[in-house]
Amino acid sequence: MPKRRDILAIVLIVLPWTLLITVWHQNAIAPLLAIRKACHHLVKEIFIIPERLAVRHHRLSDDGVEGKREAGGQAQDSKEYCASDKDIVEVVRTEYVYTRPPPWSDVLPTIHIITPTYSRPVQKAELTRLANTFLHVPNLHWILVEDSQRRTPLVTRLLRETGLNYTHLNVETPRNYKLRGDTRDPRIPRGTMQRNLALRWLRETFNANNSQPGIVYFADDDNTYSLELFEEMRSTRKVSVWPVAFVGGLRYESPKVSAAGKVYGWKTVFDPHRPFAIDMAGFAINLRLILFKPQAYFKLRGVKGGYQESSLLRELVTLNDLEPKAANCTKILVWHTRTEKPVLVNEGKKGFTDPNVEI
Amino acid sequence: MATRMKLKLKTVFLLYFMVSLLGLIYALMQLGQRCDCTEHDFPKDRTISRLRGELHRLQEEMRKFEVTKQPQKQPAKPSLPTIFVITPTYARLVQKAELTRMSQTFLHVPRLHWILVEDSPHKTPLVTDLLMKSGLTYTHLHMPTAKDRKLQEGDPSWLKPRGVEQRNEGLRWLREDRRAQPGGDNQQGVVYFADDDNTYSLQLFEEMRSTQRVSVWPVGLVGGMKYERPVVEGGKVVRFHTGWRPSRPFPIDMAGFAVSLKLVLANPEACFDGEAPMGLLESSFLQGLVTMDELEPKADNCTKVLVWHTRTEKPKMKREEALQAQGLGSDPAVEV
Repeated sequence: MPKRRDILAIVLIVLPWTLLITVWHQNAIAPLLAIRKACHHLVKEIFIIPERLAVRHHRLSDDGVEGKREAGGQAQDSKEYCASDKDIVEVVRTEYVYTRPPPWSDVLPTIHIITPTYSRPVQKAELTRLANTFLHVPNLHWILVEDSQRRTPLVTRLLRETGLNYTHLNVETPRNYKLRGDTRDPRIPRGTMQRNLALRWLRETFNANNSQPGIVYFADDDNTYSLELFEEMRSTRKVSVWPVAFVGGLRYESPKVSAAGKVYGWKTVFDPHRPFAIDMAGFAINLRLILFKPQAYFKLRGVKGGYQESSLLRELVTLNDLEPKAANCTKILVWHTRTEKPVLVNEGKKGFTDPNVEI
Repeated sequence: MATRMKLKLKTVFLLYFMVSLLGLIYALMQLGQRCDCTEHDFPKDRTISRLRGELHRLQEEMRKFEVTKQPQKQPAKPSLPTIFVITPTYARLVQKAELTRMSQTFLHVPRLHWILVEDSPHKTPLVTDLLMKSGLTYTHLHMPTAKDRKLQEGDPSWLKPRGVEQRNEGLRWLREDRRAQPGGDNQQGVVYFADDDNTYSLQLFEEMRSTQRVSVWPVGLVGGMKYERPVVEGGKVVRFHTGWRPSRPFPIDMAGFAVSLKLVLANPEACFDGEAPMGLLESSFLQGLVTMDELEPKADNCTKVLVWHTRTEKPKMKREEALQAQGLGSDPAVEV
């Protein structure tokens, strides 16, 4: 009998403490979960509204829109916005086919796209289709740098008509750095001065302390970009990398990613022992990193062919810091296409067509 | 007995104190953790309030549109004619890239129906997936070219006409589809032949939408010149400004004209003639449809270039081929 009483006493003593502990636990966890749920719900609302807004824009101009479009592109992949372990947020993609450009969100990181360009017959065509691509990407800022003495009216007009958020710069590459005619001398990197000018502009415009989140991407005007690429790069914390098609004489070049999700090498044939054996279109840098390391630029002189990207990345990150994107570097989201030089034999010496017509 | 009870009581008390001490320590630990959790909460709260603010702002904008939309609803608006774009395509390395950027352009154009015809005995998964994810209104067809009509490796691109069977298949489907759906509204539309490597500006599609019979405009970077164009005098096309064989009935590139759907349906025999001599492919189609003075000039009386006949280089695969010879080629499962 005493034994039972003792046991009862012990139980009575221990019970309130266990109750207290469990109740405390619940109180700590539950608010967290509630907040997360509220966050997700709000995100879905925010990003679905622009779509409805877009559809209404369209309906103002044209009644009787067919339902086929909605049926055609349904279930878009949605990523979680409120991932608790990431500093930079990811985005939920939606359909906003008709608002040009898409509504500017206050919470998405801005993608700053640096594109060097130079005058040639296909320039307007290249920039036109590039603009058509960019018009689909929310929070995009296009920094177009011309290789010219003065800003050309062609580019000025084009940028204004697209309606994109842009910055128009120019710097002329001195003659002995330019490629001569058709000879491809890979020792002279093209577009370097223009990209450096854009980096300098970014550093002068944005303050390291209170800048809004941004991602910097170098996009050449003849490549092809899928829209998914821009969403992948938005979550870059330092430098993110992915495969690029049609470079290095291969179907695609890609970083080697370990099972743990870390980059440990480069799957290329052309000099895979470069510090960063990657094409200009294969990486994106967080703006903060650019601002924190103000001395990092592309090296202009004495750069071997294929080492231009390394000359910049070497000063910013190590191999270990690279973030692989595109499903651990297994999907191709950007193609290094090149446009043929058009044959203009029939123009003759004096020019057959009216030079006042812009092409 | 009493001492044993006393001892038992002592142990009980001891136990009680130990348990309560442990409980307090555990609670203190929990307290510490809770501090961390609330730190987490603040940025989340901030995000939530920001999101809420944006939500309210966008809802306001939506309400504004609803208000302005109401009075406009009264007058009946004619629906936009659909633009049917017929594109022949064939499998090669740059195919996915070309179709991707084409679809990105088309996504901006309202009321566009893309008719993509593959040069293949069956529909390929690459194109099927691309079309499904594009968000466009589309029709996916396929029509293989006969072996003797196909360009061989190393042939110059102008040796044999390309895309003939595919464009004709597109026309055939369109005619059949429209016949199956009678109704005046379905006859409204414009047919445009767009190759997958050209570059199109968005303004072009708005210009061609008002086509009554056949409309024409300049095309850039074609015919060995900066651009080819119809010459317009008094609002009518009088001749064509081109550097190559201007004596053709219609010396115009495939990308330089659009035909109204009504005309296509009214002439069910009109199609592209694969046997036509070089450069006369477009003429073989247009001859039966329209005469030169019936052509409608667009693009500011044919003075602006809104479409460019760009061509994409074939990517160099020397290293890939070398690797494949060694059996170390890139993963074919990765779609390029």
